[in-house]
Amino acid sequence: MNNRLKILRAERDWSQQHLADALGVSRQSVNAIETGRFDPSLPLAFRIADIFELPIEAIFLRD
Amino acid sequence: MSLTNKNPAYRRYMWRGAAVSVAYVASVFLATLVIPDGAKTAPLYLAVATLPGIFIALWVWVMARLLVELDDEYLRFMEVQKALIATGITLAWSGAWGLAELFLPHLPKVPIFFIFPAWCAALCIGQIIVHLRNRDAGTNP
Repeated sequence: MNNRLKILRAERDWSQQHLADALGVSRQSVNAIETGRFDPSLPLAFRIADIFELPIEAIFLRD
Repeated sequence: MSLTNKNPAYRRYMWRGAAVSVAYVASVFLATLVIPDGAKTAPLYLAVATLPGIFIALWVWVMARLLVELDDEYLRFMEVQKALIATGITLAWSGAWGLAELFLPHLPKVPIFFIFPAWCAALCIGQIIVHLRNRDAGTNP
């Protein structure tokens, strides 16, 4: 699954740590999701969507 | 500050793991003191020999608690990977060696006792493999 996390984060000038703190996860988790090494669960994907105030499908894309 | 210091679940895991490890080593020493070499089977000896097994089971409980208490799903995923790698290495090695022992009488016999220490060593290998596989790529902190 692809995602636009890195782009969206850069648009807001957020660091990985900032996003990780907002999500309540480790910075390593954010890095792993951004680089496609780990697909988040649905609850975490919803939390990410809430933080960016976007629908999930605007962040996570099919391969 | 490392993840293990920052995350309360990891802190609890370290403390529990240290306590169970100390208890395990103490129980092994106790068994070596109490059970004489070549002793006949006796209920006391069997009871003393059971103690390390209890602490091994507790170690698995400590790992299970970590998986339950870790609220970060990616860290949980890495812990599961590490445990699976360690279990795979240990089962593969013990299975292969055990089978070879059956048919090759001159091969050194490895007591079953060493399975748990081997699994602990394999956990270290698992940790290294998982760390290398999940290194940050394109970090932008």
